[in-house]
Amino acid sequence: MWPLCKRLEVSPGFCLLAAWFALSSGWQALAVILLAAAVHEAGHCLVLRLLGAEIASLRVGVLGGVLTADRRRLSYGGELLAVLAGPAANLLAAASGAALGGGRWAVWIGANLLLCLFNLLPLRPLDGGQALYFLTAWAAGPGTGEWALRLAGAVSAGILAAALGGLMLQTGGSLWLLPMCGALALAAIREAARA
Amino acid sequence: MLSKQIGRGAGAAGRRTAGRRSVRSGNPPVSASARGRTVRSSTRSQPMTSGERRHLAQVVACGLVFVLLVAAKLLLPGKMEGINRFLVSSMEQNIDVQAVFSAVGRAFAGEEDVPGAAKEVYQAVFHPEEPNGSLGTGEALETAAVLETPELADAALDSLRPYRQEAAGASEQPESGEQASNLAYILYSQQNVPDNVSLEQAILGFAYAPPLSGTLTSNFGYREHPVQGEERFHYGVDLAADTGTAIGCFAAGTVTAVGESSSYGRYCVVAHENGYSTLYAHCSRVTASSGASVSRGEKIAEVGETGNATGPHLHFELHREGVYLNPIYYVAAV
Repeated sequence: MWPLCKRLEVSPGFCLLAAWFALSSGWQALAVILLAAAVHEAGHCLVLRLLGAEIASLRVGVLGGVLTADRRRLSYGGELLAVLAGPAANLLAAASGAALGGGRWAVWIGANLLLCLFNLLPLRPLDGGQALYFLTAWAAGPGTGEWALRLAGAVSAGILAAALGGLMLQTGGSLWLLPMCGALALAAIREAARA
Repeated sequence: MLSKQIGRGAGAAGRRTAGRRSVRSGNPPVSASARGRTVRSSTRSQPMTSGERRHLAQVVACGLVFVLLVAAKLLLPGKMEGINRFLVSSMEQNIDVQAVFSAVGRAFAGEEDVPGAAKEVYQAVFHPEEPNGSLGTGEALETAAVLETPELADAALDSLRPYRQEAAGASEQPESGEQASNLAYILYSQQNVPDNVSLEQAILGFAYAPPLSGTLTSNFGYREHPVQGEERFHYGVDLAADTGTAIGCFAAGTVTAVGESSSYGRYCVVAHENGYSTLYAHCSRVTASSGASVSRGEKIAEVGETGNATGPHLHFELHREGVYLNPIYYVAAV
């Protein structure tokens, strides 16, 4: 990452999470996810650097990677490009995997595709939320952008939390989805309260 | 598991505050991060900042949770045991991440239709332990580890019971289904048999042959799981044999699934007449291909120890329309 990003910080919590994941799902799954995440962040970094923004650091925590960059000189269009570059990089990786011959790359394609789709959710810290904000703010001003993002965040997180919770109740299923469901419900409440 | 972590955290916080009190008696107990500041300052009775108050509240809350959990464990041991078992069983249903990725990837690459992939994802996320639903589609993963260490066989062979002896025992069992289920009732009266299990000896209505002649190392029913180490229902019989031993098809039929899963390893499923199907798991190699017609006794796979296995053996299951039957009645009739 050095040519793209000056500092890389990895939190101890993330190391613990990665270790747990490797133990429960196998190191191959961990490696695939980490590689897909690296592709994602590399996409962001590359576009930010091409647009002339300095990247201060990439912090990798339990909840994912956070890029700190000097974005002040970026236009709305530039911001939008930088935000969408991550999911686009994943999509590209998935497409190249499919082009190389589907079956053998299925896990890699799936990991990239899911990372791309998850990040495109219109929810605030995720790329999709930021993209929605920049897009609406570009078209109709920051106030409208903020409002649209809160509404979209509340609705999407609410629907996902309800669907996940419903399926978990119905199947008596995996408790491991509970944190995800809880986080989505909290995000929905937070956005709804702001909107 | 959660309670233990909270308890440990609260215990550690308690120790820290206790240590602090012994160094400087008189001060109220404060949390670890606030400690550094108060030790450095010389004035004694400063009002607490909001951060300190929050830390104090956290310590008190953790302590309360810890005390409550310890009290509940001491006063209601039976209830806590039940809750513990529920939590452990719920947490064991982990998501099969690789199966999810693989299904999505294959759908994207156009190798599988979207509804089929969605069904596989649903299966992998919500019921990874119940293999019945996903068998129809079958998943193929490149990354699953293959164990080829014959030393592991010793662990499985320790608890061997001679196959012949078991075969004799099985043939002594009553022939009629009613008596068989009475026997089952006595055997399993302590523990409930899962819903999808029938302990009766069904009349198959077609010719069959045991898949191989090996040593029975694990019977159908409740048993201590050799890897997870706790009591679980075993939905088939385990027949130990050397890696590479040919597995013959139980009866004529069609191979409906050839796949690989974290628990079954390389496995295949063959559908027979009258709604019956058989499953052959932990194979080192599946030689039959999906969709092929196979005859009774035809070689379809080789014994191995792929997936969740502690030695080379065949895990053999017999299903009738989603219900697990005890295969011992049919494999013992050598």
